[in-house]
Amino acid sequence: MIAPRDLRAAAWWPAALTLLLTTLALGGSLLVPLAFSDPNGVDPYVVRLSATSLLMLAAAYASRRLVGGRPVLLAIAAVTASFTLFSAGPQILFDLFKTAGTAQILWASLAQAAVTVGIAVAAVRLLPAELRPALRLGRFGWPAVVVSVAGVALLVLAGLALPAGLLGRDGIQPVAIARDMPWLGPACLLQAFAQEAQFRGMLMGGLERVMGRGWANLAQAGFFGLTHLAVSYQGPVGPFVPVTIAVGLALGWIAQRTRSLWPAVIIHAAGDIGITLAVLPGLYGF
Amino acid sequence: MAGSVMFLAAVLTPAVAASAAEPWWTPLGLRGVAIDAVSAAGKTVLVRTGSGTTMLSDDGGMTYAPVSGNPPIRPPAILRSGADGWAIDASGRVLHARGSGALTLDPASPELGASAHLLAAPAAFPGVVVAVAVDGVVWRRGQDGDWQRGLLLLPAGFPHGVPRITGAAAFTEPLSGTVYLGTDGYSVLSSTDGGDDWIRAGPGLPDSVLALTTDSSTHAVYAGTSDGLWVHHLRALPAPPAYHDAALVWRWVGIGLVSLVSALAGAALLLLALPRMRPA
Repeated sequence: MIAPRDLRAAAWWPAALTLLLTTLALGGSLLVPLAFSDPNGVDPYVVRLSATSLLMLAAAYASRRLVGGRPVLLAIAAVTASFTLFSAGPQILFDLFKTAGTAQILWASLAQAAVTVGIAVAAVRLLPAELRPALRLGRFGWPAVVVSVAGVALLVLAGLALPAGLLGRDGIQPVAIARDMPWLGPACLLQAFAQEAQFRGMLMGGLERVMGRGWANLAQAGFFGLTHLAVSYQGPVGPFVPVTIAVGLALGWIAQRTRSLWPAVIIHAAGDIGITLAVLPGLYGF
Repeated sequence: MAGSVMFLAAVLTPAVAASAAEPWWTPLGLRGVAIDAVSAAGKTVLVRTGSGTTMLSDDGGMTYAPVSGNPPIRPPAILRSGADGWAIDASGRVLHARGSGALTLDPASPELGASAHLLAAPAAFPGVVVAVAVDGVVWRRGQDGDWQRGLLLLPAGFPHGVPRITGAAAFTEPLSGTVYLGTDGYSVLSSTDGGDDWIRAGPGLPDSVLALTTDSSTHAVYAGTSDGLWVHHLRALPAPPAYHDAALVWRWVGIGLVSLVSALAGAALLLLALPRMRPA
């Protein structure tokens, strides 16, 4: 007979340890090859991040001892595999159809969202009921609408109030926007949906099943920040990691308070669209 | 189509000069002095300081001597770029001359405002022009003669307003299709596709750029700033890395092994650390 206290201890450790050790494994897989790899961009780091997370997911399904880590590993596999497909998508489309352009980013974003949805469906169907993540996709009430509008307004005000030199928010390019936004606008929306479903849906929703909401939010926000370092690890984005952790915390808190993922998706998409509209590239090396 | 032609021209353009080790912008002299006008031709560099002193360098900007009478530095009335000539008339409309022909009103030219004077036309993209209106709107002319708004600067942040555009420059020999804008707040912005897309191109440069000019003979862009005169040299395009096939294969094998070891180590540590769980 296990006491309820012991049951709780046995329940949260697997998920927490899985997140920690998977983060370390991904970090090792990302950073060790830098010692001998090509610095000029042919290093397929997103592929090996995907390979590492998928191998660990396979190990979790091969051993019953790792059942408690499966929700976390499914969420991380969704992050890495879908981002790999997103990154490689334009090149794959070019190789297949010999066309290049901004439209490819939309199709790659669609693939990213589709893979995320596929893994989310697998998580809901394959995981035992007590470990199944709370995705919060089925609810969008008035509180969520109000928070979405207020969040977007706050984001715009903060973006305008902060120094342009810090953000690279220097100007708007009407010709480029008219040319690209019909593709990049929907792409931003799809990417925001995919990332919110991965971090605030599958990861935080899974962690919440075994630990307190605050801890779950903190854990997903930390991982969210680190992935931004990994996504552009060759660029000088290190100083932005604390910012992305803070953004992750805020979006997680919003998802928890409104019991809906959609305000976080809308605010995230608005932020990405704002960056696409007003940030001139180059300031931080990309 | 025009974009493809421009891209091809940009790729094929013979860029030269700076070594990869040279910073993007290098201070050339007069540090601590505001430079609000500059012109350059070979080793001769002429600058005008914020206090109204005109100075001449005949050694490429290393040393300077005052010019008697402090004459102002004025841009040429007609910008000659490749086979074309461009100018802004007194009412703020853009004029165009082909070859040695007379200047005539460019048909679709926007009204830039009576005191507008900033104009750049890269010879590598004949027909492309970037012009700055007095209200700060950056207009770009495509190779088809169509004018559109290419860039609207945003305020620098509360309570600061929109930075002033202080210079526009491009190479008047077909060296590079890049157009440069100097701004008093966002340093230098540049466009390599005739003004459609812009990037921040001032790494190392003070934010306050007060004057901008190019010199085709030295492949250089000069920026007069609040902190002296700076120079950027055109760069050769980075060559793709070349590998011996065997070396590349072993490198990729190593990368794969690292992924495998990372995943196995993570899974093994999890197996060791996690207690046995009862079936749900």
